[in-house]
Amino acid sequence: MIERFGLHESTFDPLWYTHWALAATLVLPILAGLLGARCAPRRLFPVALACLPILLAGALLVFDYQQAGLLRWQWQVAGVEISLRFNGLSGLMLMITQWVGAAAALYTPGHLRITHPGKRARWLWPLMGVLISSLSLIWLAADLLTLYAALELMGLAAVGMLLLSGKPAALKAGIRYLLLALVGSLAYLLGVALLLGYWGALGLQALAEVVEPGPVTWVAAALIGAGLALKAALFPLHGWLTPVHENAWTPVSALHAALVIKASLFILLMLWSILLPGTLLAPRFVAWLGMLAIVWGGLIAWRADSLKTLVASSTVGQLGYLMVAFPLLLGPSITPLAEALAWEGFWLHLMGHSLAKAAMFMAAGNLIIATGESSLRGLSGTSRRLPLSLLIFGIAAVTLMGLPPSAGFTAKWLLLQALVISQQWVAVAALLAGTLLTAAYVFRVFRYSFDETAPRHQYQPLAPGMDIIALCLALAAFALGLLAHLPLALIQGGGV
Amino acid sequence: MIASFDVIQSGLALGLVVVAFACLFDRHLLRASALFVLFALLMSVSWWYLSAPWLALTELVLGMVLTGGSFFYALRAFPSAAMAAPHVDGSQHVLSHRLTRGLLALAWCAMIGVAIHYVMPEMAYSFAGHPLILASIVIAATAMGAFALHRHLLRRLLAFNILGSGVFILLAGMAGTVSGAQALISVGLTIAWLGTLLGVMLIRHLVILEGVSALEDENDAAGQAQ
Amino acid sequence: MITLLLLAALLWPLCVAGSAIWHAYRTPAANRHHFSLLWISASWPALLLAYGGEAQWSIDAWMLGGYWELNALSRPWLAFTAFLWSLAAVHARGYFVAEQANAQVGDNDAQRRLQRLALLWPLTFFGNVLLIIAQDIASFYLGFALMTFAAYALVVHSGSDDARLGARAYLILAVIGEGLILGGLLWAAGTAETLTLEGVREGIAGAEQGAMMALLLWLGFGVKAGVIGLHVWLPLAHPVAPAPASAVLSGAMIKAGLLGWINVLPLGVEGLSPALTQLGNVMLVAGLAAAFGAALYGVWQRHPKAVLAYSSISQMGMLTAMVATGLAAPDVWPLLLPGVVLFAAHHALAKGALFMGTSISEHMPRWPQPLLFALIALPGVSLTGALAAGLLSKWGVKSALYESQHEQLIMLLTLAAIGTAALITVCVWRQWQQRQSEGGNAFQWGAWLVALIAALITPIWLPLPDTSMMAPPMEEWLGIVWPFPVGVGVVAVSAYLLRSVRLTAPPAGDLWWTYSALVVRGLQSVRFIAHTCERLKIASLARSLAFEKALMGQLQRWLPGEGWMRRHGSGLMMALAVVLAFLLMWEGLR
Repeated sequence: MIERFGLHESTFDPLWYTHWALAATLVLPILAGLLGARCAPRRLFPVALACLPILLAGALLVFDYQQAGLLRWQWQVAGVEISLRFNGLSGLMLMITQWVGAAAALYTPGHLRITHPGKRARWLWPLMGVLISSLSLIWLAADLLTLYAALELMGLAAVGMLLLSGKPAALKAGIRYLLLALVGSLAYLLGVALLLGYWGALGLQALAEVVEPGPVTWVAAALIGAGLALKAALFPLHGWLTPVHENAWTPVSALHAALVIKASLFILLMLWSILLPGTLLAPRFVAWLGMLAIVWGGLIAWRADSLKTLVASSTVGQLGYLMVAFPLLLGPSITPLAEALAWEGFWLHLMGHSLAKAAMFMAAGNLIIATGESSLRGLSGTSRRLPLSLLIFGIAAVTLMGLPPSAGFTAKWLLLQALVISQQWVAVAALLAGTLLTAAYVFRVFRYSFDETAPRHQYQPLAPGMDIIALCLALAAFALGLLAHLPLALIQGGGV
Repeated sequence: MIASFDVIQSGLALGLVVVAFACLFDRHLLRASALFVLFALLMSVSWWYLSAPWLALTELVLGMVLTGGSFFYALRAFPSAAMAAPHVDGSQHVLSHRLTRGLLALAWCAMIGVAIHYVMPEMAYSFAGHPLILASIVIAATAMGAFALHRHLLRRLLAFNILGSGVFILLAGMAGTVSGAQALISVGLTIAWLGTLLGVMLIRHLVILEGVSALEDENDAAGQAQ
Repeated sequence: MITLLLLAALLWPLCVAGSAIWHAYRTPAANRHHFSLLWISASWPALLLAYGGEAQWSIDAWMLGGYWELNALSRPWLAFTAFLWSLAAVHARGYFVAEQANAQVGDNDAQRRLQRLALLWPLTFFGNVLLIIAQDIASFYLGFALMTFAAYALVVHSGSDDARLGARAYLILAVIGEGLILGGLLWAAGTAETLTLEGVREGIAGAEQGAMMALLLWLGFGVKAGVIGLHVWLPLAHPVAPAPASAVLSGAMIKAGLLGWINVLPLGVEGLSPALTQLGNVMLVAGLAAAFGAALYGVWQRHPKAVLAYSSISQMGMLTAMVATGLAAPDVWPLLLPGVVLFAAHHALAKGALFMGTSISEHMPRWPQPLLFALIALPGVSLTGALAAGLLSKWGVKSALYESQHEQLIMLLTLAAIGTAALITVCVWRQWQQRQSEGGNAFQWGAWLVALIAALITPIWLPLPDTSMMAPPMEEWLGIVWPFPVGVGVVAVSAYLLRSVRLTAPPAGDLWWTYSALVVRGLQSVRFIAHTCERLKIASLARSLAFEKALMGQLQRWLPGEGWMRRHGSGLMMALAVVLAFLLMWEGLR
């Protein structure tokens, strides 16, 4: 399990250009963001130009990993050891981060041009840059200090972005999120304090070598778990999520739902698999919460009145699928086959959900911008006027529902297989019920949109590219199901 | 020497706990903010005694001056027409709400206590031998409870800061002032300041947009529930 | 050259059909002539093709890969089929003169019916040709299905109630038959992984479940060929169809079923499984039962065409019995096959001539009546084996059976010929009773006369292998000829004996009425079940709606829980930490 996170010695030292690729990955987004604040781009072209080197750097890192295996870096800064590592999983998450980030960045100029948000909009670019950089750092970090710093940086940037829309509701939701995120990371820090005090190690690899089960480990794991669960919006700590997404700008919601909450989940799974290998009850408890999350998120989304609430609530349910996999990844006496299936299903679902949810937020944002109404009722008549946006919504929904051949289907299939092998029938039932509920709330949207009786609205025309980008994301989520072997090969190979 | 040291340390610990409690449960916001500045000062002194002068300086600058200043900055945005009223958090909580928060805080106390009992086995023999750690456990658990209890945003922000301080002392007390711990604490302090600043700016915005009543989270929750 | 001929044979009917559509839209109704020379010529290229010699084609681009062949079997088959179609087309021109005239003066109904016939006639013929030359499954099936379904228009032509009944019977059985054929072909093709009919034959012979496949195919083609039990459409459809349509139905299309058997059943293959041999015995019994049963039932019919339909069933029963020997006694088959082909060809032309004859007796030309009725009876006499081609064809079958000592079968077939003679006698007699002298048309009786002559001299023009035909030795003549006078005698004696008894004729279509009664009974029970289900559905719908309402109410009460969780996020986080720590400790310390 620990090997899968790349916490072991590497065979080869990184090559000279790998260092540059790493630096580019971590620093370029911030630089590009600052540049964006200065120039405030109003067209796609300069944004694409800025994204290109970042994407290339990420691709180069993945390429190096495929050539040389695990890559490690260690620096001694003022007596503190900072270590990074790059394995297949990091590569995968990095790619998803960069591509979704690039899509959001490309979507932004059009969005800003139509909504005219005023001067505040400048701040979006540097915050986005910091967010992408800190996310990249989280995927790569291999010690608790770096993880903490990156997590906090990401959290603050995320809050900043969410606040930009400036509406009172957004401010309220934002400050709630801010407070909870800060407290969540303090709980994490408390756990880290216990670990550091007892084992005296901050590096994950060193920690993994010395850690043993005991009350300190358990309390630390519980504190870390609770804090990160709050930040990752795991049920029942998800309350802050919906209002935040509801009131933020579309690209911000997309980025947040696709990536930010996943980072906390990633850290949670990684730390728990170091601290709590082979425990039964706590992961099982999380899984039960996950089943509740699937049902609850589905119900909330089903009864939602506004489109963005629906999309945001569906995130709660989708995170439930990931929580259900916890006992399979951490529990004792799980057959290797089930564990491998769950591992693949977990990450595939995470990626598929990232792409699909980003696409869905963009499609929903397009619909809302075009109709000028955020409620589901306001969608009536859109089937004729905005078929493309609805189509994108539908393709993304296919992934969320888990219909073949989307990534959602493949991931759910893997998870179901693992659950069946380990005979967790309740979880199987919850997964299937979740699919039904997803279908229910998705088709509710379509029911409203195909309603032709409503009076005609004036439709706001969309900027070029807004639909296309969302479509690309949705299709990527769709195609990921067919090409699942490529990312899965990355997280299987080399890691062990 | 040891005895005198202990006395000072115990005095510091007691002072920290008392000031923290006062700050957490004072309904008058201006006074609570002032108490927080006092608390930060005591923290700085504690760092000095734990032989971490660098941290003491950081705490003085980040914790006391900048963070404390932020609170006053927020309070200045409150409407000055009725000087007395806006600076008091008038929200009332039902008994069960307080009771559960109290119990949860106690549970946290016990939980962290158990863990620390294993980290520092010698504490089992001389319970008062590490008064700062003891104080930090109490402060952290209480601040967490207070955070969960309060609805007023400014008070929650205060509770968060005190919780942070409690965690930092705990960290320093257990891990010593090794470089790793110092780095964690420095990062934590910076983040706490940044977070507070962001929060304060938000609060100012909110007050300007919607008035003081918007700061009580309950309203919006009640609105959502309807 | 022959490929060009093939193209012409296949495309020309399609062109004719196209021109029928063209005329329907372009030519004014008053001078629309449905049965032009062009229309009559639809089958001529195919007839030429039959005499063009043997050839093979394989066309990869065609569907699953076409493989067509003109061989010793398909050439004579194509020859008599195309010949009969040509004659029937000429006859049709005369037959429909009155209707055509009606249509031209503005009878829209007649206009519509004639258009339908003119369009679907060449299409039916196209299907027939395709299935004869096809040696791959896809083409064969395409041809067969096209022929089957296009022929519906031929049956339903007059549009009367009886015609609709006959057409419905035809269609229902045709659909059942197509289903059986498709099932059998797909099963066999899938098992043997083949795309050709030869592969199907080999596959059935070798497969474990070969007998089941063969049974499916036998019954499927048996619908066309009038196997007993599945024959009921024949006596219903023939009396109501126009005479030329009856001629091709009974002459050419029925034979397509026979060709289907010959093409797909492993006839004459040594070492068949016992199950297949058993199937052969069943076929033999079914064939003989049809041969006798149809004769016994048919003689009571009033309508001459119904009598002829039963005669067809009887004749096809004999052919079924012969095909069955190919399974039951494979060694006879190579000798028997030329006889079967000749038998089929002769029956096609003779039956065509007889059906055309029914229209002649309804529109008699001004000829001496004895001569006319002698001519009408002549193909029937030949069919019993008493003279000319009939004699030769009977002998062709008999000699083969003699050589392999199947005396019993010969005996039975000979007895069946008495039935044939009786049926023919009754038919001519009925025609005599119902004769009408309304003046014939030259096309009508010309085609009939040609068909008659062609039937009598079948072996001369049929492109059979040279060695396969020989005249019977003189001493055998009597053995072949005697059933005819006996049959006539039996009918005369019975008629004399029963002259005072008033018998009601049993309805044409015999088992059809049993079937339909059964189906009606079945439908009633299905309707009852459907009604019950309907009530059940309404009840469960109401219950579901009530349940949904209750659920929604419950849900509305729960949903504020979301707000609660939002307000108590931090408290819940604390609780989660405590619970997790508790769980971990409990598990760890236990």
